[in-house]
This record gives sequence, structure tokens and C-alpha cells, in this order.
Amino acid sequence: MLVRRAAATILPHAVLVVFSAAILLPLLWVLRVSLTDKLTAYRIPPEWTEPRLDNYIEIFTAYRFADWFTNSLLVALASTLLALPLAVAMAYAFARHDTGGAPLRLGVLASQMLPPIVLVVPLFALFLGAGLLNTYAALVIAHLTFNIPFLAWMLVAFFEGEVKQLEEAARIEGATRFQAFIRVSVPLAAPGIMAAGLLGFILSWNEFLLALILSGRATQTLPVGLSSLETHRGVEIALLAAAALMAILPVFVLLPFLRKYLIKGLSLGALK
Amino acid sequence: MAATLAARDRRFGQLMAAPGLAALLLVIVFPILFTLYTSAFDFTLINPRHDTFVGLDHYARAFGLAEFGNALRVTLWFVVAVVVLEFAVGFLVALMLNAVERGKAVYYAILLCPLLINPVVVGLIWRMFLHPELGIANYVLGLVGLGPVNWLGDPTNAFWTLVAVDIWHQVSFMIVLLLAGLASLPKEPYEAARMEGAGTLACFWHVTLPLMRPVILVTLLIRLIFAVRTYDLVYIMTRGGPGQATDLVSYFIYRQAFVGLNIGQASALAVLLLLIVLVLTAWLYRHMRSLV
Repeated sequence: MLVRRAAATILPHAVLVVFSAAILLPLLWVLRVSLTDKLTAYRIPPEWTEPRLDNYIEIFTAYRFADWFTNSLLVALASTLLALPLAVAMAYAFARHDTGGAPLRLGVLASQMLPPIVLVVPLFALFLGAGLLNTYAALVIAHLTFNIPFLAWMLVAFFEGEVKQLEEAARIEGATRFQAFIRVSVPLAAPGIMAAGLLGFILSWNEFLLALILSGRATQTLPVGLSSLETHRGVEIALLAAAALMAILPVFVLLPFLRKYLIKGLSLGALK
Repeated sequence: MAATLAARDRRFGQLMAAPGLAALLLVIVFPILFTLYTSAFDFTLINPRHDTFVGLDHYARAFGLAEFGNALRVTLWFVVAVVVLEFAVGFLVALMLNAVERGKAVYYAILLCPLLINPVVVGLIWRMFLHPELGIANYVLGLVGLGPVNWLGDPTNAFWTLVAVDIWHQVSFMIVLLLAGLASLPKEPYEAARMEGAGTLACFWHVTLPLMRPVILVTLLIRLIFAVRTYDLVYIMTRGGPGQATDLVSYFIYRQAFVGLNIGQASALAVLLLLIVLVLTAWLYRHMRSLV
């Protein structure tokens, strides 16, 4: 009996430790490679040297890392900030007045689930005709295709969970519907709106296929820039490791602000 | 009076939704209609004009194309493999996490990491590990007297390597959602089952599984739809190869459009993929509504 009980407490930890190691060891190895010099990075069996930060400096001179980073930041910020007000208003209409009913909601969900390849083929042809290829505008428009439906879908859940009494009180005191929305509902939903915005930013930050096809040398985003390293002759893995870690850094910085909303974000609002 | 109030509410809702809907019409509906239209023309990047009408030829050709059949088959296997394996591993880890108190926050923080990483980065770092001579994976295998394995050079290996890397990247999605489901289960049914003398396994089969059914369905469906869209890992790790062993449908359409330059044909394939995803999404929508 005692043995069984001991097994019951040890087994979960055994599984979890093995699983955590499988996740963590590869990431620690990338960190280790990023801190070695270029030759040591390739040595098998591995050799240990004094950690150094050279690679983190060299990605800015050897590659156009700063440009990629700035482009990603620009596109992600612009598409999220453009999508947010549109999505907030639309989500509010869905939640409070059931505008469009189930068909429209299904349409928004379907827009969000669209495979990017389905959209990138026509967007490429259309931007080619309009002379928009390789511009920031093309990337921002392309990222609106997932940011608007994602944000709208997330925010419906936030507005539906909100109490209506305050809004109604404001209406009784003579506020118009729009005033009640701006002065009561939006401030109440502000934490949710912020979190949804951060998630939208991350979606855009990580997006690859649309940016790959629609960007040019000057507008390349970080994922596209990184993917081009892989085709370079004699790619330096120490540099690659440093660049990879730098690319995921912003997302990890944002994580603490998202923890509460992550499940809602991942389950598309189905779970809290 | 009440009727006019309701009408005004409705009008307000329409006004609020209008700008967002207009934007969606422009960036999503219009491109899709353009795809539908283009799929009926011989529209290529050499001659990007709607001047040669071909009717349904591209659709007929799609079904005759052995490569398209292959892409659908590879996609189906890939989706089934990653969804089933990620669910199995994910559910196990979620159950274990739900059973522990100490260290839970640490385990949880660790498992969130892969989810936040850009798929391009995931592909790049695994390519680095799996390099036949210079990668750490074969070195570690060698230490225990195994390998070396040609991870991405052999068709069967490449397919399962892709599946394994996808599991590493996405299994936490299942864990996070299933754990959220487990944490919100009521306690009473378990107490009742224990009173009747049910063991751990019986509790799992007769209490946990039935109660978790809606959460499991939604989790599986969301993951399924995202798995159908897989593109980034293929582009970075295998480019659909060796041969066409990992030629998932998104990558196949990409090749038709941007390597073959045949936008008309690619549009027809995109329409077919769109239909598949729409059916899956409608299915998901029904289950999501039942969960709320």
C-alpha cells in the first residue's frame, strides 16, 4: 500500500521531469552554441570554451538583423493597431446586439482559420497588379487578414463576459449608445483588449508565409530574414543560434502580461 | 416604443460592425472571389492576365495530378500522426500536471516555451541538431551506441522527423487546453465514484473522459485545422522532400504558384483546400457553441 502511494506521487514527477528536459535541453543547447566561438560551435564531440557574446554583436554586422527586427516591429505594430479599433467595435456589436447572428460569427471564425496559402496566392497577384509588392503596405494589409478576425473573435468573448449594468446605468443617465461603449464598456474591457492586442502582435511577429511571398529585400521581416540564412553558403551556426534567440526574445518579454489570457487566446475563446 | 428601441439597438450594432466588416470584405472576401475567378483562367506569372478562359480545366487537372493526390495523402497522414500523438502525450502530461502541487508552476513555465517560438526558428534549430555529421543528435545517439540516423535525407525518416519536430513545437498547446479543462472539472462526481469503490483507472474512464469530452473535441479540432495549414516547418526543414515525402498540401500549392508560376492552377487547388478547411471550421463552430 505504501509502495503504491509512493509510486503515485513519484510517477507524475518522473513523467514531468522527462518531458521538461525534452523541451528545455534543446533550448539550452541553442543558448550554449550561441555563446561559443564559430569553430567550437561545429566541433563534435562538443568542446567547452569560455562563453562569449561576440555572436550577438556580429548578427548586426554579418546579417541585416537590425533591419529585419525593425521591419517585423513595424508591420506587427501597424497591423495590430489598425485591426484593434475595427475589431473592438465589431466584437461589441456581436456581443451586445448579436449583429449578423451565427452566420457572421462563423464567417469571422472561418476567416481566422483560413490557411495562409489560400490568401497569399490572390494577394500576390493583386499586389503585383497594383504595384504594391515589396512594400510595407502589402505586409500590413496581409497581416490584417488574420489580425482582424482573431482580435474580433477574442474580444467577443470578453464583451460577453462583461456585466451590462454599468452600461445600462450610463444610458439611463443620458449617455448615447456610443458614449456608453467608449466610456464604460471599453475601459472595463481594457485589460482584455490589451492582452488580445499583444497576442495579435505575437501572431504577426511570428507570421512567415505571407511575409515570405509579399516582402522584398528592404521589407523582409525577421522570420523571412532568418529563413534566408538557411540557404546561405556555409551558414554559421553560432550566429544562427544567437539570431534565433534574439528573434524569440520579445515574445518572452511579453509573456508575463499574457499569462492570464493565454488559454483564452489559444483556445480561441472556448476555454477560460 | 419598445420596437423602435430594439430597431435602434440593431442599427447601432450594424454601424459598429460596419467598418470591421468592410475591412474583412476587402482583405479576405475579395481575394477569395479573385481566387475563384482566377481558377477559371490560364493566369500565370509569365502572362498575368485573365485572357484565356479555361473553365473547370484546372479542377479536372487537379484530380488527375498524381502529385496533388500525393500531397493530400501526405497531409492526411501528417495531420493524423501529429494530432493523435500530440493528444496522447499532451493528455498524459496534463493528467500528471493536474496531479501535482509542488513544482507545477515551474513545469508549466517550461512547457509554454516552445509555443511562443516562431516556427521558422523551431525549424532552424532542429535542422542544426539533426545535421548528419555536425549535429548533436547523432552524437548523443552515438554515445549510447546507436545511429547515425539520416534524419532528413531518407523519405520515411524525413516524414517522421517532421512529425516529431511538430510534436516538440505544438504538444504544449494540447497540454495547456486539456489542463484548463481538467482544472475546471467538478469534484463531486469523483467523490461519488470513490464511494462506490472505483479505482483510479475506472475514475478516468467513467468520470474524467466523459466530462472532458467537449473540451477534448474543441482542442482536437483547433489543432487539426492548424495542422492542415502546416507550411513553415516544411519550407525550413525539407522543402517537401526528399522526393515528395513531406510535400504537404500548403507547400504543394506554394510550389505550383511560385515555382511553377501557374497562379490559375494554384488558385483551383487553393479553392479545394479552402473547402476542406471550411467544413472543418463549421464542425468546430458547432462544438464551440456547445461548450459556452
